[in-house]
Amino acid sequence: MSKELQNPKITPESQHVSLTPYVVGFVLSLVFTFIPYQLVVNEILTGNMLLAAIIGCAMIQLVIQVVFFLHLGREKKPRFNLVFLLGTIGIILVVVLGSIWIMNHLHHNMSATDVTDKVASDEAVRQIDGARVGTCAGVGTNHKIELKNDSVTPLRVEAKQCDTITFSNKGDATREIRFGTQADPETYAGESGETIRARRNKIFTLTELGTHAFYDPINNTVSGYFTVKR
Amino acid sequence: MVNEHIAESHEEAAMDRVGFGFWVYLMTDLLMFAVLFAVFAVLRDATHGGPSGQELFKLPFVLTETLILLTSSFTAGIGMLAAHRGIKSQVLTWFGLTFCLGLAFLGMELYEFAEFIHEGHTWQSNASLSSFFTLVGTHGLHITSGLLWMGTALVFIWKRGLNAPLVRKLTLLSLFWHFLDIVWIFIFTVVYLMAFV
Amino acid sequence: MKEFLLGKLDLDALPHDIFMIAGTVSFILLGLTVIVVLTWTKRWTWLWKEWLTSVDPKKIGIMYFLVAAFMLVRGGIDAIMIWLQQALSSGSSHGYLSADHFQQIFTAHGNIMVFFVAMGFIFGLINYIVPLQIRARDLASPLLNTLGFWLYVAGVIMVNMFFVLGSEYAATGWLAIAPLSGTEFSPGVGVDYWIWSLQISGIGTTLGGINFIMTILKMRAPGMTLWKMPMFTWGSLFSMIMVVTVFPLLTATLFLLFLDRYFGMHFFTTDLGGNAMMYTNLIWMWGHPEVYILVLPAFGIFSEVVATFSRKKIASYSSQVIAMGGVSLFALSVWLHHFFTMGAGADVNSFFGVMTMIIAIPTSVLVFGWIATMYKGRIKFATPMLWFLGFIGIFTLGGMSGVMLAIPPADFQLHNSLFLVAHFHSTVIGGVLFGIFCGISYWFPKIAGFRLNERIGKNAFWCWIVGFCMSFIPMYVLGIMGATRRLDHYDASTGWQPLYIMMFIGGLIIACGVALQVVQIIASVIQKRRLRDTTGDPWNGRTLEWATASPPPFYNFATIEPVTTQDALSEIKKQGTTVEPKYEDIHMPRNTGAGIYIAAFAFVASFALVWHINWLAIVGIAGIIVCAIARTFNDDVEYKIPAATIKEMEEQRKKDTPASAPVDSKENEDMSLWDFIKIVLKWALDVVRKRRLKTW
Repeated sequence: MSKELQNPKITPESQHVSLTPYVVGFVLSLVFTFIPYQLVVNEILTGNMLLAAIIGCAMIQLVIQVVFFLHLGREKKPRFNLVFLLGTIGIILVVVLGSIWIMNHLHHNMSATDVTDKVASDEAVRQIDGARVGTCAGVGTNHKIELKNDSVTPLRVEAKQCDTITFSNKGDATREIRFGTQADPETYAGESGETIRARRNKIFTLTELGTHAFYDPINNTVSGYFTVKR
Repeated sequence: MVNEHIAESHEEAAMDRVGFGFWVYLMTDLLMFAVLFAVFAVLRDATHGGPSGQELFKLPFVLTETLILLTSSFTAGIGMLAAHRGIKSQVLTWFGLTFCLGLAFLGMELYEFAEFIHEGHTWQSNASLSSFFTLVGTHGLHITSGLLWMGTALVFIWKRGLNAPLVRKLTLLSLFWHFLDIVWIFIFTVVYLMAFV
Repeated sequence: MKEFLLGKLDLDALPHDIFMIAGTVSFILLGLTVIVVLTWTKRWTWLWKEWLTSVDPKKIGIMYFLVAAFMLVRGGIDAIMIWLQQALSSGSSHGYLSADHFQQIFTAHGNIMVFFVAMGFIFGLINYIVPLQIRARDLASPLLNTLGFWLYVAGVIMVNMFFVLGSEYAATGWLAIAPLSGTEFSPGVGVDYWIWSLQISGIGTTLGGINFIMTILKMRAPGMTLWKMPMFTWGSLFSMIMVVTVFPLLTATLFLLFLDRYFGMHFFTTDLGGNAMMYTNLIWMWGHPEVYILVLPAFGIFSEVVATFSRKKIASYSSQVIAMGGVSLFALSVWLHHFFTMGAGADVNSFFGVMTMIIAIPTSVLVFGWIATMYKGRIKFATPMLWFLGFIGIFTLGGMSGVMLAIPPADFQLHNSLFLVAHFHSTVIGGVLFGIFCGISYWFPKIAGFRLNERIGKNAFWCWIVGFCMSFIPMYVLGIMGATRRLDHYDASTGWQPLYIMMFIGGLIIACGVALQVVQIIASVIQKRRLRDTTGDPWNGRTLEWATASPPPFYNFATIEPVTTQDALSEIKKQGTTVEPKYEDIHMPRNTGAGIYIAAFAFVASFALVWHINWLAIVGIAGIIVCAIARTFNDDVEYKIPAATIKEMEEQRKKDTPASAPVDSKENEDMSLWDFIKIVLKWALDVVRKRRLKTW
């Protein structure tokens, strides 16, 4: 039989916790449960802001409950419990965020052809008649196309496969470059086009053969074409 | 069998060790949940054309569940205060309340599962639902174990009265119960709220 | 009705091919032998009381050694079968194994060696030695200790069970990558056996990890701060912290695979949204830290051995501890290097490649630290020191090939080639296994009371080194030449066969080494008297396990004196204290069957889940719960030994040991291998002539 109760107080007075932390913890937890709930239900925030807000509230409630319900700050040194909790949280972040990062990349690279085509162009995978034949060995010549004051210089580029074209936006406004023509847009090496901010450049590797046009959908005067030969 | 008298510092040291060991166990449980969360994060959109969480979940229902569990965590804390002060009747009241709230939470969760299954959305339907049922279901299994533990402890206290070893066991149980509420915070946020972002 | 009662079990599950029958018959014979011997010597009660229900970490440690040694032979036989198949199976010959059987063999080989041999020996050593090193009497939770051990045994039984029922093991490789391990491609029970043997023993390992952490952090001798702990204890602490960090990841992943197979879920399936790549990601998140879990205690052992046999304090204690910590920390951030080729892309691959290469830095700090310890020491080349020197050569080879593999473009060529196989065998055999052998030969006198035969020990070591080099250096070459791993057959035009044959012969030499290790133990037993360790400190050690008798009394130390420095025993020897010990009451834990009962129910539940016998699974799980609750009802778990009794036992022990320390038994007077062979032949001839056994 176990030791019977001699003294009404089982735990010495010095280790007693009062009611206060529990009440405070409870009320704060309620608050940080209602806040994210209202944010979501009433759509007060949206998108990434909302995501950050509700995760932030969850983290805060975690701290509240750990401090007020689990009394984490109160242990004597060495504070092993705290160290282990912090370590665990660190590993959890590695596991969850690491998995998301890796799986995201895997999804991007290993998905159906429309997604992987873009990736192939990123990595300068050479194409002949639409068939992939390996990567561009080394870097070819760079051809510069300047976009300034609504004009394109030069209008036409002759290049070899695996050369690069740099679209250089010399103006003050952001430009959009799309491949194909206004009436007949197309994709080149998986890309439909690119937005180029003022005074910035964008480089494309010429992995596909043939003659291809490009245009600015907003401004008709900006257009040209390039021919890629073997 | 009569227990020998054990010096109090020996008992204190033992309790300190057991408390720490249980804490480390809770950390391993958290890591196991981390995997389930990671899998949920990766597979949540793999519905294979089926309904998303946004279409299935009822937020007011889930809010109620959350508040019930949170309250039960609070009542468990009050129960522990009574336990440290050696007041048997209060321990039974407050932990009894915790038990009832826990049971209500479990009931609501099972009801939600039953609804989904009835509508044809089972864990076999697609990867997203597999990870939903597994993550939330594993939490539910932990709650069930906690209730079993709590029920047994309460019967014990009722029959044999409070004593130091039982209070120590209650401390571990309340740690477990608080920890389950903490995991639920993240289920509420990541599974339910995030479905609507 | 039959399906309800027996699930998927039916007569087909009984063994029906030659290998399964042979395996079943062997186990039955083994079991019968044990039963007959125990009954004849009337030792059932003794076995139950003294060993099976024991919570003494020394006894549990010895039981771990015995099971792990048995599994080493089992896994070694698998290895020889693999070597032989690959040596034979070239061109028109297809060897003697079917492809499917070959796949099951290399899967079993990997699982057995990692989970049941390496973990078993390491847990045995930590159980026995760490409490002694920190001057504790037991682990923090004797119950968790025995439970952990019996869960390990349940796992061992599970991984061998398929011989008797099922006739198939997983044919998926040691980590059972999805979707090959899903129901679609592995519909039989093999993968289920795989899942549950690892799941149960994995949970046992996690419980052990929690226990060891509790013990090391909370039960050190007064005055022994963390920075005064011995190096083996540090290695064990870091290892166990990693255990509690990553084994839960394994538990969860195995659980998810089980859910896919049992409940038709879609985590890793090829359809309905499943993502098999996630399995690879998760399993390696566990798998990589696992190998560091195995090697960190080995690093600790080497630190102890190098210091003792160089008769010098370890060079820079702080940097060694920090390096061990660094290895542990980085080990948690490199797992993707096992699947560079799966397609995560350059960004991700380069991050993990760099992190992997960084681990070489703290590892080198350790290696250079050991070499610095040897510098200007007075080195004694006893067998443990030889194992250490062997480790330096082989592990460094493995480590360097690892850094090569860490470079993603290089890995794209070498992934899953024999180069990889050679790499990990170099690190695991050179690091973990040699560490275990080093530790066992170092601490054997403490455990058994007499030291091991040095001459045969050295012969065994040389067999291992020569055999290893002969087997694995060609493997590096073959890997670069393009040979993939796990080939059950290859074209004769590759020209690989001579190298495979050389590998097989190397394997045979390793087998000789193992045989010599067995001979070493027998020879030592024969010369037990001469080799006896009477002082408790045969190597002039520096740490506290040498401050008690060999073997230690069940309470380890009669008194727990405080500690003031690193290398506590060296300090005590320097001070030359001969204070009269002040005896106090000692509290020891009672033996308990709770561990066995719970593990037995866990085994029943897993077996039921393998065969889809639902009612039995429920019974098993209910049994676990009932046993656990019953155990919590039991408050009488300790007993007290009064101080006076301790005093009596100590004084009796002092009387029993010879008054003067004997002359250090000379190594060149140890029995040599030829002497042993002569003794065995003579004994055999006597038996034949007189037809009765002679006792030595």
